[in-house]
This record gives sequence, structure tokens and C-alpha cells, in this order.
Amino acid sequence: MSVPVILAHGALGIWDEVIFLSLAAIFLVMMGISWFRSRAATPEDDIPAPDHATEPQSTDRFQLD
Amino acid sequence: MTVKQRCQIGGIALLLLSLIVFVRPALAHGYLIRAIPEDRAVLERPPARLQYWFSEILEPEFSSITVRDREGTTIAQGGISPENGALLTVRLPPGLPDGAYIVDMRIAFASDGHVTAQSSVFFVGTEVAGVEGTAANNLPEPLEILWRALSLSGIMLLFGTLTLYSGILIPAWGNRSYRAGLLPPRVMRRLYIILAGALIVAVIGSIVALLQQSMAFFNTDLSRVIEQNLWSVTRTSTRFGEVWNARTVLLGIVALMAGLSFYFRESQPETVRPFLSAAVWGMTLVIGTFSISSHAAGSLLWPWAAVFNDWLHALAVGFWAGGIGALVLLLPPALQPYQGEARRQALLAVMRRFSRWAVTCLILVISSGLYSASNWVYQPADMTQTAFGGALGIKLLLVAGLVAVGAAHHIALRPERYQRFAVISQRVAGFLPSLRLEALLIVVTLTSVGILSATPVPVPDFAEKTVATPTATQQVDDISVTLTLTPGGPGVNTYDIYVLQEGIPNDELDVRVQMVNPGRDWRGNWETAENASQGLYVTAGAEIDRVGMWWSLVDVTRADGTTQRVAFEWQIADEAAVLQSRPPSPVNVLALLGVIAALGWALYPSARRLYQKLDLSPAAVTVAVGAVIATIFFSILGFALVENQRLQYEAAINPAPTVVNVVLPDAQSIERGAALFTQHCIGWAGQPLRAMLERLPRTRDDAVYTVVAEGNTTLPACNLTLDAAQRWDIVNYLRTLQA
Repeated sequence: MSVPVILAHGALGIWDEVIFLSLAAIFLVMMGISWFRSRAATPEDDIPAPDHATEPQSTDRFQLD
Repeated sequence: MTVKQRCQIGGIALLLLSLIVFVRPALAHGYLIRAIPEDRAVLERPPARLQYWFSEILEPEFSSITVRDREGTTIAQGGISPENGALLTVRLPPGLPDGAYIVDMRIAFASDGHVTAQSSVFFVGTEVAGVEGTAANNLPEPLEILWRALSLSGIMLLFGTLTLYSGILIPAWGNRSYRAGLLPPRVMRRLYIILAGALIVAVIGSIVALLQQSMAFFNTDLSRVIEQNLWSVTRTSTRFGEVWNARTVLLGIVALMAGLSFYFRESQPETVRPFLSAAVWGMTLVIGTFSISSHAAGSLLWPWAAVFNDWLHALAVGFWAGGIGALVLLLPPALQPYQGEARRQALLAVMRRFSRWAVTCLILVISSGLYSASNWVYQPADMTQTAFGGALGIKLLLVAGLVAVGAAHHIALRPERYQRFAVISQRVAGFLPSLRLEALLIVVTLTSVGILSATPVPVPDFAEKTVATPTATQQVDDISVTLTLTPGGPGVNTYDIYVLQEGIPNDELDVRVQMVNPGRDWRGNWETAENASQGLYVTAGAEIDRVGMWWSLVDVTRADGTTQRVAFEWQIADEAAVLQSRPPSPVNVLALLGVIAALGWALYPSARRLYQKLDLSPAAVTVAVGAVIATIFFSILGFALVENQRLQYEAAINPAPTVVNVVLPDAQSIERGAALFTQHCIGWAGQPLRAMLERLPRTRDDAVYTVVAEGNTTLPACNLTLDAAQRWDIVNYLRTLQA
């Protein structure tokens, strides 16, 4: 089966396509994972550091109002 | 608006104007690495073809070569070689009279889409004064500067804003009471305005890019590009168009993510952050599309390493520069309700996080920038004697200025650690003014980046070196044969055979050529050379695939049916080949190690966090270590097995000869062989000989030699007193008898 040439640079032949498409696939999967992780995260996961939350004047963290 | 604000806006406008004014027309990064004939070559007779090799793949639809005479009459037109996308070639008609010929080349490089024009001259007979070629004439395209500035600004700001939001603002300022995005509505509103503005700028830049590239490819004006939908041709039939499509789709995905985030901010506020976080990954790919169409893609040294390095560089710059831009735009509404110490604490919460990331990005920018420089600067003199070196020096100075401002911020954020620099801490304690200064400095630095990317890279030595094309002449009886291998190194070569009979070019001959590698006892097929008039016969092939000794056997058959053998012996060297890659220098290797080390340093905190989450019980560690060792072992084993199979297959197809033919099969050897055969190979006749001759095309020289020396079941050995050279003469003679 021949793989259609999309972005061949010529340096690695068909491997150019494999590398590019693999990277694109990895990043699109990461995009999905990132979406689900952020969505599934509770506010406590997003903003952990309960010690800081009780210390809004800490320079490490400032809860914006 | 205060006077100070007006001055600041004026300053920014001036700097942006400088981006347009000072950036020169974009120049191509590819260059000519081999020309046959060389510019201003004086040839004894007209060539059959012209060949020009470039350092990068060319766009076949938009690259052309035209040969004209001194009066401007077009002689021939050609294009990209089907076998080599970086070779521009043209066949010339027979019978060109003596005189000067001009070769006009229009070159469209596939990697960056740059179109250039240059011409070269050659002379047949004697040199003609007053005829000159022109060096690469890079077509000025101010629109290219505009779209590059718009696209990069928009995309860097998009990436910087998204990463700043996910990686800095949420951890620093996040407030769970704001469900839509975890930040106050006034900040989210400004965030969406920045995203929308950056997206619009990026899209406008992208549209201008397609139009400008179409204008460059078709060498026409904007109205014709739009009226005749030429932009659509560019989009669908060029590498630039392919990358443009990919970038547009990815940009569309990012826009969709940001749009959905905005759309669901009230009905499903918890999805705001996921959409924006996911969009970061899309933006990394968008930035990657610039790298695969940058000059890094045309690098002669490890192209993929150059592309990845360029990508890493752009991502680090995007986070750093784009982040600062976004920060400058976001801080005013974010800090609006705060004064005094509260304002300072809010600022510190963001700045400390951003500073840590900025230091990491800066190290990545410097290390990847050094690798890029090492890729294009071949010797120290290139830094001082070329425009590229000068532009690079200016950029480094500006980066040094940015580092200084960044260092001042770093110090101000940690006054307890840097007490001796208290003066610096006090001067930048407010952060916002110095951040604006840093943003302005970034604009200036981007200007220098534009200049650098528009400056041709230094041409390496090997591209400027003249390499002699292997050529030789043999005279046998009344036949004189001159064979020229072009370019004469491993790879695809053309074979130009110039035949004189009794000193007169003869076009009535049948000329065949065969390439032989005696060391491997390997013979190519006999190729019939096509007559190109005036005694010139041409053909081409990829038989020469390695360095070492090669033979070219030329059989010239006259009209009366008699055949004359002419043989040539060559020492094929790598230097004669057209180099499509170059070996790394120690500086390249060191620079790459620097990038890897910087990347390792950048990823170390994440790796450490991952490590801390790991289950380090003895059983788990044992299983993990075992799995890693097994993976490495089986990977190495797999590669070794594949390589071994490959070698075995190659050895089975063409094993090393038991004895190597050392006698060139020329006319003299064949003549001697014929006499020796008749005299000493008694019994070589009838069906056994016919059977052997039928097998001869599938039989190697060493096997034939063995039969001559030792005989086989059907043929006796030739006279046992013959020496090795005589036996090889017989083998060479027998080869001429094969069907």
C-alpha cells in the first residue's frame, strides 16, 4: 500500500510523512487528553494549595477578585 | 489619553513601522550547489543537456529553465528532473552553432516558497565578450514581509496568551468562585479580546500569505491572482499550499476551541478552561507548520533535527515573547481594583511564576538559536564577512538586552536573595513599566529576526568548489570515443558518449554502454544511447551507487554490423557527487548536545514530579527495570536481525566474488582473449558451449573464470599453463559472445 505524499521534504522519503503525521496525531490526542483532564478536574485540583488559599497575601499565589 | 500613553503608542507604532521599513525583501535560503556546465564555461562542442543542482527541493510547477542565444531566441526549455526534485535540467536540440548561450532559471524553492531568478552563460567554440550571467535575483515581495509579520505576531500572541492563561494565571490568580475560566469576568473579557484580535491578525496574515505566494509563483499581480483563482492552484498543487492548508485547519481548530469556550461560558462554565487548555496543543502544531516550511527544512545537515530545533525555538519564543505581550495587555484590567501592597502581591504571584518559565524558555531559545547558527555559519569568518553573520550579531545583541531586562525582573522578584543589587530591584519594582519596555524590546528583536530570516545564509565551501566531471577519450582503430559521466559520483549520472569515426562525428552508429563494478563482480544492463546528433550519444542511469573502481564498457556497432569495444576505468569518488547532505562538525554536535541538555533541564521538574508520583516498591521497580531492559534488548536485537537479514539478502543476491577480474575488457583484451580461446580452449564447441553462452547473462565473471581454469561437467579446462591475466582475457572475450 502506498502512503500518499503530503509534506515530503525528501530527506527521509516516506518517513517524513510518518513522522509528521505521528506528531500531529500525538498532539491532537494530547489536545483531547488536556480537554478531558481539565474538564474532569475539580476546582480543588485546579487550585490546590489550601494553605495558600487561606493566605491570599502569599507572594506565591494571589486569589484574584 | 495622557501624553505618556500617546508617546508609548507612538513608540510602538514607530517600531512596527521599522519592521516594514528595515526588513529587506525576503531572500531564498536555497542556493546552487553544482552547475554543468559551469558559468562562463567554454565548450568544444554543444552539450546535449544542461544540469543545475540546488540545495533544496524545487516546486516543479513553478521552476523553469530556458536557454536562449545572444539575440534572445529561445533555444530550449526544461524543468525539474523526474529523478531528482532539486535538479533543473534541459535537453538541447542538436546542431547548436558556435556562440554564446544564456541560461535563464526561475527557481521556486519548495521549503520556503521563495522564488528567485538567475542566469548563467556558456560558450560553444570560443568565449564571447560582453555576455554575462546574473547572480540570484531575489524577487522583491514587500507583501511577504507583511504577512510574515502579521502571521508570526498573531500566532505568537495566541500561543503566549493561551499558555499564560493555563500555565501562569490559573495557578497564580485562580479563584474557584469564578466558574467560567476561574478568573474574574473583567480578566476573561480581556483574554477573549486578545485571543480574538490575535486570531484575526493571524488569519489576515495567512490570507495575505496565500495571495502573495500566488503572485510570486505566477509572477503576476494581485488582481489576476484573485480573478483567475490562482490562489486556489497554489493552495492545492504546491508544498507551500499543503502546509498552508494544514496550518489553516489547525488554526480553525484553535479558533473553534476558543469560540466554544466563549459560547459555553454561561451555560457550561466548567468547559471554559478545558477548551482553552486544549487549544494550547493545537497552537504548538500551528507553530510547527512554520518550522516545516522554514529554511530549516532545507538544511543539508539533519533536516529533521533542524526542523525540531526550529520548532522548539519558536515555541520558546512564543511562550516568552507572546506571554510578555499578553501579560502587558492583561495586567491593567486584572490589577485595576488593587492598590499598594495588594497590587504588589498580585503582581508578584504572576511574575514569580512567569519568571521561572521565562528563564527556562530563554535557555531553550539561546541553545536552539546556537544550534541554528551552527547549522548555517560554517566558519568564524562567516560571522564577520557575511550579511547573515552581521544580522545574527545584531540579533544576539538585542537578545542580550532582553536577557538584561529579564535578569532585572528576576532580581526584583527575589530581593532577599540579591540584596547587593537592591538598586536594580527598586528601579523595576513596579514591573509594569519595565514589562512594557521588555515588550518594546521584543518588537525590535522580532525586527532583527525578520532581517535575519530575510538574509541569505552563507554558501558552504563545497557548493563553491569546482569539481571536475570524469571524462576520458579512447581511440580504437578508426573510432574515437569520449565518455563523460555527469556529475560523476555515486547517484544518478548521465553518460554522454561522443563518437568520431576517422575524425568525423558519426550519427549512424549503434552505441551501447554498460557499467561494471569489478570489485563486486556486478554488471549493469546494456543501455542503448540515444543519438543527439553531431556524434553525440546520450543515456543516463543510477548504476554507479558507491565509490571505488568502475568500468564503463562502450560497444559501438557500425552500419556494416561490426562492433568495436571501448572500455574506460574510473575511480569514482564522493567529491564528484552532488552533495545532498553534509557531515556534522564538532560545533554542530556540541550545539545539538546543548539543545538536548537545555531540553532535559526544562523537562526536569516535570520528570521529577512524575518520579515522585511513582510507586517505588521493590516489585514495581523490578518490573519497570526489567521492562526497560527487555525493551532495549529486544529493540537492539530487532535492529540487528533486520540488518543481518539485509546483509544476508545482499550477499545472497551478489556474494563477494571468489576471484576478481583485474583485466579491463577493452578491445585489446578481447582480441587477446579470442586468440587464446581458439588456441587453448580445445573442446569448447557445440552444445556445451552454446549452453554456457546462454547462461552467461546470469553468470558472474568469477564463475566463468572457474570454468576456464578448472572446467565443469560439460566443458574441459582451458590450457592449464595459462596465467590469470590470460584467463581473464578469455572471460572478457566470452562476454562478447553472449546473446
